[in-house]
Amino acid sequence: MGAAALVSAGLTATKEAGAQTSSIPRRKFGRHPDEVSILGLGGHHLGNAASVQDATSILHEAVDNGLNFCDNAWEYNNHRSEEWMGKALAGGYREKVFLMTKVCTHGRDGSVAMQMLEDSLTRLGTDHLDLWQIHAVVYDNDPDLAYRKGGVIEAMQRAKQQGKVRYLGFTGHKDPRIHKRMIDMGFEWDAVQFPINAFDSQFRSFQELVLPDALKRGIAVLGMKPLNGDGAPFHHGDVKLTPEQALRYAMSVPGVTTTITGIDSLAVLRQDLAIAKAFEPLQAHQMQEIVASVKPVAGDGRFELYKTSLKYDDVVTRQMHEQPLSGAET
Amino acid sequence: MPVPHRELKGVSVSIIGVGGSAIGDVKDQSEAGRIISEALENGINFFDNAWEYHDGLSEEIMGRALKGKRDQAFLMTKVCSHGRKRDVAMKMLEDSLRRLQTDHLDLWQIHEVIYDNDPDLHFQPDGAVEALTQAKREGKVRFIGFTGHKDPDIHLKMLSHRYPFDTVQMPLNPFDKHYRSFQQLVIPEAQRQGVMPIGMKSMGGGGEPVKRGVAAPDELLRYAMSVPGILTTVSGMDSYDVFKQNLAVVTDFKPMSRDEMAELENRVKAMAGDGRLEHYKATKLYDAAVGRQQHGFPSAKELPA
Repeated sequence: MGAAALVSAGLTATKEAGAQTSSIPRRKFGRHPDEVSILGLGGHHLGNAASVQDATSILHEAVDNGLNFCDNAWEYNNHRSEEWMGKALAGGYREKVFLMTKVCTHGRDGSVAMQMLEDSLTRLGTDHLDLWQIHAVVYDNDPDLAYRKGGVIEAMQRAKQQGKVRYLGFTGHKDPRIHKRMIDMGFEWDAVQFPINAFDSQFRSFQELVLPDALKRGIAVLGMKPLNGDGAPFHHGDVKLTPEQALRYAMSVPGVTTTITGIDSLAVLRQDLAIAKAFEPLQAHQMQEIVASVKPVAGDGRFELYKTSLKYDDVVTRQMHEQPLSGAET
Repeated sequence: MPVPHRELKGVSVSIIGVGGSAIGDVKDQSEAGRIISEALENGINFFDNAWEYHDGLSEEIMGRALKGKRDQAFLMTKVCSHGRKRDVAMKMLEDSLRRLQTDHLDLWQIHEVIYDNDPDLHFQPDGAVEALTQAKREGKVRFIGFTGHKDPDIHLKMLSHRYPFDTVQMPLNPFDKHYRSFQQLVIPEAQRQGVMPIGMKSMGGGGEPVKRGVAAPDELLRYAMSVPGILTTVSGMDSYDVFKQNLAVVTDFKPMSRDEMAELENRVKAMAGDGRLEHYKATKLYDAAVGRQQHGFPSAKELPA
């Protein structure tokens, strides 16, 4: 994914992790006092590491270098992602991170959500989450299903009262209008997650339609898909952008709190750490140049297949909404 | 005439049209020919097609079947430039006329306006819209329009140019009423501009609602043909049996009452809100090959949905 793109692009970030002394910059988590690293460790890819030992090495080295934001979801890799992250967090690492996972009810009752929370806490080896988010709010009627009586939002409130989660949010990769409804319907969200990259600025733009609203309400903005999900643009002759530029663009968007990226090997981690540690926000004119360079191929969503196809809607999401399963990753 | 007609600027058109894509799916060409001949004999005169359907085969079949009867038909086909320039569109028009064995079309529409930037591409200088203008001026086409199954916002962007389209084609069915609704969002604007709406996908595209038992085929066709203000409903008929079923529905057709339509809309509402009955809107399943290529999308094999 993004990871492979970084490696194949031959970035030169080869510094040994141990030799680095600086740390990853942190930013305030929305209206709350917590601080999180500008780079977040994606849970899906962590479950794609070669082994649980590799996943542990990745997480430890990341945290030792100042990364503290850890992402996951109940459904990633049939639960392996949470299990491996839980093993890696044992022995003192849990206390060093801001731990997030996602609930995957996809419209089902709050009772399903509460059971998923217990599953997640068990796998992650902890008694509480720092952030619990509704995963993949991607169908037009998902806001109605989330807000309905007995739905997932009621479960989230209960979990917070019980002290099992500190903050609440939602995620989705499909359409900023769906996100906007989730916010406009009134729940006091702590975080919202959506794709942030240069292409997004030109096509069904979350940056344009959701980000300002989130900032106004003090909702922490979590960026994802900095490399467009599959890194496809970086293998395409029409796109001059490099993965490093793309990651820096995502982290430079004003108002973004952290950028969650897929890391499935130490090689990829070290490249990302080097970028994050040396990070200086791009200047406005540099961002405009990047946007201009992708604009000719951004207007139809060909490099944002998470918006324009079912490719990134995983199996459970599709099943709950009775969508075709053709091409779904299992 | 037992099959009711409506008028497009004084020209009489049957309330149902024979879909060109499905004509290419009929098991043999003699059966396809029989559908077309009997449609004409029964007063169905609207024939739909597109340059890209079955790589030209649909147009060829229709051309052969209409030979000697061309003047009885209201013949439509679509141009598939998908963002390319006027010359590509004009070349496609010549291909279509040759395959359809005629010197003019009654209606020529821009096919599959489904990508967010399609309106900009079609209206670019020397683009497909200029081809429509030229073809009309040269007398090669009588009326012009555009089609698409994806998003009412894209249709509205096309209409925002206030170009004198004669027709606009869109999915019309009771599910659409609840989900990214062409009926609610596009028809009023089209009517303000005097552009005649044409319906398609009365069964949700692949008949998904019928397979799930949500609604019966005849009531879905009746619903689509009852949407107020539309010119016709393009319907896929891939066998003689389906043609006969449709013919029975349209013969002496009386539109559904508003209450009857509302009952059906309410019945399907619970299942309509996420597009599961309209795969052409939220998935790639109905996006054809040429458009995908021109827009740099993966093929149907690589990205089915």
